[in-house]
Amino acid sequence: MMRNDPIKHVFIWPAVLVVLAISIFPLIYSFTTSFLSYRLIPPIPPRVVWFGNYATLLQEPRFWNAIFTTTLIAFIAVGVQYVIGFGVALALNARVPGERLFRVALLLPMLLAPVAVALVARMIFNPTMGPLNQFLSMFGLANLPFLTNGHWALGCIIAVEIWQWTPFIILMMLAGLQTLPEDVYEAAELENASAWQQFWGITFPMMLPISAAVVFIRLIESYKIMDTVFVMTGGGPGVDTETLTLFAYQEGFKKFNLGYTSALSFLFLIAITIIGVTYLALLRPHLEKRR
Amino acid sequence: MLRRTFLMLTTSLAMACTVSQANAACSPDYSGVTLTVASQTGPYIASALKLGADEWTKKTCGKVNVVEFPWSELYPKIVTSLTGSDATFDLVSFAPAWLPDFVSYLSEMPKEMQSGKDWDDVEPAYRERLMVWEGKIYSQSMDGDVHTYTYRTDLFSDPKEKDAFKAKYGYDLAPPTTWKQYLDIAEFFQRPDKGLWGTAEAFRRGGQQFWFFFSHAAAYTNNPNYPGAMFFDPETMDAQINNPGWVKGLEEYIRASKLGPPNALNFSFGEVNAAVAGGQVAESIGWGDTGVIAADPKQSKISGEVGSAVLPGSDEIWNAKTKKWDKFPAVLPAPFMAFGGWQIAVPKVGKNQQAAWDFVKTLTSPEVSGQAAITGGTGVNPYRKSHTTNLELWSKIFSPQEAKEYLGAQADSINGKNVALDMRLPGYFSYTEVVEIELGKALAGQTTPQAALDAVAKEWNRLTDEFGRAKQLAAYRAAMGLPPKN
Repeated sequence: MMRNDPIKHVFIWPAVLVVLAISIFPLIYSFTTSFLSYRLIPPIPPRVVWFGNYATLLQEPRFWNAIFTTTLIAFIAVGVQYVIGFGVALALNARVPGERLFRVALLLPMLLAPVAVALVARMIFNPTMGPLNQFLSMFGLANLPFLTNGHWALGCIIAVEIWQWTPFIILMMLAGLQTLPEDVYEAAELENASAWQQFWGITFPMMLPISAAVVFIRLIESYKIMDTVFVMTGGGPGVDTETLTLFAYQEGFKKFNLGYTSALSFLFLIAITIIGVTYLALLRPHLEKRR
Repeated sequence: MLRRTFLMLTTSLAMACTVSQANAACSPDYSGVTLTVASQTGPYIASALKLGADEWTKKTCGKVNVVEFPWSELYPKIVTSLTGSDATFDLVSFAPAWLPDFVSYLSEMPKEMQSGKDWDDVEPAYRERLMVWEGKIYSQSMDGDVHTYTYRTDLFSDPKEKDAFKAKYGYDLAPPTTWKQYLDIAEFFQRPDKGLWGTAEAFRRGGQQFWFFFSHAAAYTNNPNYPGAMFFDPETMDAQINNPGWVKGLEEYIRASKLGPPNALNFSFGEVNAAVAGGQVAESIGWGDTGVIAADPKQSKISGEVGSAVLPGSDEIWNAKTKKWDKFPAVLPAPFMAFGGWQIAVPKVGKNQQAAWDFVKTLTSPEVSGQAAITGGTGVNPYRKSHTTNLELWSKIFSPQEAKEYLGAQADSINGKNVALDMRLPGYFSYTEVVEIELGKALAGQTTPQAALDAVAKEWNRLTDEFGRAKQLAAYRAAMGLPPKN
């Protein structure tokens, strides 16, 4: 087949049209809707408000609260996941006895559906009937308000996130560790470098590119957290644990406020983009040093 | 050859007889028809629908497929289906408060169903008010919902408890007539060291919480001197939720949260029922399910000891017109028709409308609904006169005294002179969401009752303006049974 063979259009255009239909057009439609005051319930005819939805959102304390809550969950959860995940990956890479069993067992949480995990967590953290409080009461401790106090509820959600997604970090970091060249470590051994020095001088810098990618993926994923919060707290008490996606869900699928929700989605996209770009900009000097 | 022909003839005749007999059993014959009903996840309501479905199948040979969604997902699923004009559901079961949002997509109930013995048997509060929208009937109640009071008769009749209570509070221990008495009783029985707490109510966001708050507030805001002004001023559509009556209701609701089991803030109605049936609390308020579950020896530790009464009231009610407290010569109960009972309706786009309405007829017939009402876990509470008068029916689950009190409380509440109707407005979720958020803050002590309700009122007024004040006012007046404003 020649480069200019017209048959290429037969193969290319269906794919282009499918991409347009399922991705680009809905995005454009959603973007235009974000400039409308458009409610399905009660049915109100669409009205152009230009940046009205965006302005309202930016003045809405609930929006800023959702941004803060989501950021808090994402940064704390991913930070802890990274530290634990890297540590466990190092241990597994050191060929500990029963490593294969550990590897499979540690990956299990990641394979479960977040909704199922959240349901189990909700039962464990149930303030009155949950096993955790019953266990604590055996030591004479008072029932803790795990899901009824804002701070505790946030802590519980973060704990569940850490439990479920640390295996992803373990998996990725372990894969990275297994590609590191052995000869560098042999040279370090000859120089009498301690394990600590080997970690900070060799392992950590060499793992930096993969660390950056793994943390980036987890950060973006964590910003999209919805099911865990929905099941565990429903965003409460009040709006103490309401995340951006849950806020968008409430506006879009409870109140059917479509214009406002579209604007919220695009602000969410902008926020994620800013965080992603800042993160990569901060890491760039370190990553370029590695090249 | 002749023998073979005779055999074939006989076989054909036999088959024809069988078919005609089968068809004769189907009256009306809906064999081949499968109806799809949207319901909340069972057992509540979904099991009642299945009970009705079995009866309808026996009668008509049609089939019913009950599709269940979690409570929080039901509204979006129905709205998406109705606004998309797809015929996914032949029937939808829903809260009366959603009717204004759905009404333009629903078919009107056939006229022949709007008369007769079965029709007249439906309590007027449902037949004439909650099932009506702008003079037309679009839905049929399949459950009756009014908040009532439940208490442990073993505690209330104990002479030691009675004496101790009288010594402490200066009046007899009995089902409360005012909310102050209700809180006194809760305080008196608050004995965590003995595994007994005062009261149980729903306080969790998304856990039917705001209806319990509305029940408290109804006593101080549902003023017969200015009817229909509980939620909004029916003349101006200004939100009333931050007036002194509501603030008093919220203060007492918060106080009740501190007189319940540990972490009562996480209670939804399910936990309330568990606490009552487990004998953990001395009293409680809620829907009729509480009494039925508490009376069931399989589910309850206090069966045989379940008392019921109408919700407490007040002799002082805020007047939204004069902006003053009106004093009444006696305590006036304001039983609150929280939620208002599940309803069922047939979407206009449905392909089997005749069959669907026939299913509604069977489901809500006195026989089928009566059976559902006495079956714990169906979520069906009395909504027909025959439900509360048929003592024989209730003797299967209640002792005579329990049945008398339970049915008396239900009937007196539904037919109460100052019964308070729940809010029904287009955009219902937008209005109640902010209530849930601010209640959560007030219950957690993050804000004062007045500040929380001021925030709700501000948002309610903003929503009303956004949705169109005149339209919302007309809808609110219709929902409250007031004539249109000229």
